[in-house]
Amino acid sequence: MAESVIRLEDVSRYYMMGDFIVKALDGVSIDISRGEFTAIMGPSGSGKSTMMNLIGCLDTPTNGYIDIDGENTAGLNEAELAYIRNRKVGFVFQQFNLLGKLTALDNVITPLLYAGVPTRERKQMAVHALERVGLADRMDHRPNELSGGQKQRVAIARALVNNPTILLADEPTGALDTRTGGQIMELFEELNSEGRTVVLVTHDRDLGMRCHRQIHIRDGKVEA
Amino acid sequence: MLIENIKLAFNAMRGSKMRTALSLLGIVIGVASVVAILTIGDSASKSITESIAIGGLDMVSIYPSSGQRNTGIFDEAFGDMLRNDIEGIQAVLPQNSSTARVRNGKESINASVAGVLSTYASTLNLEFGEGEFFSSMDNINRRQVIVLGSAIAEELFPDQVVVGQYVSLFRSQAKSYLVVGVLESKDPSISLSYNNSVFIPYNTYSQRFIRTNGVGSYVVKIAEDYDTIEVSDAITEYLDNIVGTDGYSIFSPASLAEMAEQITGTFSSFLALIAAISLLVGGIGIMNIMLVSVAERTKEIGIRKALGASPNVIRGQFLVEALTLTLLGGILGIVLGSLLSYAVTNMLDWSLHLSYTSFILAMGFSMFVGIFFGWYPAMKASRLDPIEALNYE
Repeated sequence: MAESVIRLEDVSRYYMMGDFIVKALDGVSIDISRGEFTAIMGPSGSGKSTMMNLIGCLDTPTNGYIDIDGENTAGLNEAELAYIRNRKVGFVFQQFNLLGKLTALDNVITPLLYAGVPTRERKQMAVHALERVGLADRMDHRPNELSGGQKQRVAIARALVNNPTILLADEPTGALDTRTGGQIMELFEELNSEGRTVVLVTHDRDLGMRCHRQIHIRDGKVEA
Repeated sequence: MLIENIKLAFNAMRGSKMRTALSLLGIVIGVASVVAILTIGDSASKSITESIAIGGLDMVSIYPSSGQRNTGIFDEAFGDMLRNDIEGIQAVLPQNSSTARVRNGKESINASVAGVLSTYASTLNLEFGEGEFFSSMDNINRRQVIVLGSAIAEELFPDQVVVGQYVSLFRSQAKSYLVVGVLESKDPSISLSYNNSVFIPYNTYSQRFIRTNGVGSYVVKIAEDYDTIEVSDAITEYLDNIVGTDGYSIFSPASLAEMAEQITGTFSSFLALIAAISLLVGGIGIMNIMLVSVAERTKEIGIRKALGASPNVIRGQFLVEALTLTLLGGILGIVLGSLLSYAVTNMLDWSLHLSYTSFILAMGFSMFVGIFFGWYPAMKASRLDPIEALNYE
C-alpha cells in the first residue's frame, strides 16, 4: 500500500443557513495515496467544493479528522493552516485567480514570498516553473495580456512552484474551450506521470474519467 | 517581504491615483501646516532676537526714576560703585539724553541728543562712516563737538563731507557744534535708533542742557564670559536694596529676547497643536481609503490566503500600504511646509530657520497616524475568511 497523502476520517462540514443546518459533507472518509490521479466528481451542490476547501485547508471540518501529507490538521490555527496551504497544496482554480496587477512571473513568485525563499532563488524557481508549463516567453506579461489557456498555465506554474505534495484543481478547464481544456488536462496527466499527486474536482464526466480514480459525491456523502 | 510590500503599496497607489492623491491631501496639509507654523515661529523668534541683539545682547540699561534724580545716588560715581560691587561688569557708561532740533542753515531735523563719555563708541563698537568719536579732552573741556547719526548727516548735509562742518543745537538757545564724526548706518535696535541720534560730550551736555550732576541713564556693558541675564539679575537685586524697586527701571535686551522667544515658542507650539488636529483628520482619510482598498481587494486577499499568506502577512501588507501612504504624505507635507515658510519669511524679510525638529515631529506623527488608522483596516483584511474572499466578485 502506497503512502497516504490525503486522509479524511469521518469528516463532516455543517453550515447554518438561518435556522437550518446544511450538511455539506456528512461523515466522509477517503484516502488518497502519493502519486494518485484522482477525480472528485458530483453535481453542483453535492459537496465536492466543500471537500476541496477542506483538503486545501481553506476550511476546517465540523467533525472528523483530516491528515495532509501525514500531518493532522485538527486544531491548527489560521497561520498554521496558511503554512500547509503554502507548502503542501497547490491550488488551480476555474477562474485562474491570478493577481491582475502583477506579471506572470510575479504571480508565480508570490507563494515563494510567503515561504520565505531568498530573492535570487525565488526568481530562478519561478522562471523554472514557467518554463515547465511552456510559458518562458510570457513571463513579463500581465494576466490581461494572456489567453485563457496561458492564464491557466501561469496558475499551474504558481501551484507547482513551491513543489507541493498535492496539486488541487477545481474545474481547471471550466473556463476554457475544449481544445485548450484538453491541453491543460494533458499537462495535468504529464505532471501526474512525473509522480505528482493530482486531485481534480469536476462535474464533467468525461474529464473525470480521464483520471485514474474517481470519487463520486452526492448529497454530502461518498457514493460507493 | 517589506520591499515587496512597499512595491505593492505603490502598485495600489498607481492603480487609483486620484483617490490616493485626495486622501493624501489631508496628511499633506496637516504636515505642511505643522512644519510651516513651527518653522515660521522659529524664524520669527530668531528674527526678533536678532533685531534685539543689534543693540547688543551684552548690554543692560538702567534708568533711575525721576524721583531719584536729586538724591545723589545716581551720579557719575555710581557707575564705578556698581562695577566694583557686582561681578561681570566691563563698563558702566553714564548717559543723559533728550530730543532737540539740529540745524544746518535752512535744514533742520529733530534728533535724540545724548551726552556720553568718550569711551561710549569703543565700548559699544560703533563704526564710523567719517571722522571719529570725540576724545576725553573734548569731554573734560566741555567742547562743543558733535557726532551725527547717519540719517541726521544725510538730511542736513546731503552728499557733502560732513566732518568739519558746524550744526546748531537748540535748547533754550542755539549753540554751534563742530562735527567730528558721522556714524555708519546701523539697523535700529529696540532701545535706540543710532541713525537718528547725535552725540555730544557728557560734560558739555551737563553744562548746556541740565546743569546738575544727576545721570539720566546708564548703559552697562557685561564682561565677556558672563551671562547677561544673571548679571542683570544681580544688578536688580543690588538696586532693590539701595533704592527699592520703584527707584529705577532696568532694560536688558537679553531678557527681552528670552521673553520674546518664550512668547513665540508658546504661541507656535499652540498653533502646531491645532495643526496636529488636522493631521488627525487626515488620518481618518487614510483609514477611509484603506477600508475601501481592503473591500475592493477582497478577492486578492482570498487568493493570497490560498497561496499561503498568513493573517500576519496580510495585515503587514496593508499596514505597510497605510504607512507608505502617510509617509509619502509626510514627505510632501514637509516640502510644501518648507516652501510655505520660505515664502512667508521672504515676504516678511525674516531669515529662514527651518525647524528640523518639526520635520522629525511631522514624520513621527504621520507614521503614528499610519499605524493607528491603518491598523483597523489591516486587521479587517487579515481576518477575512479565505473561502468567502476567494468567491467575492
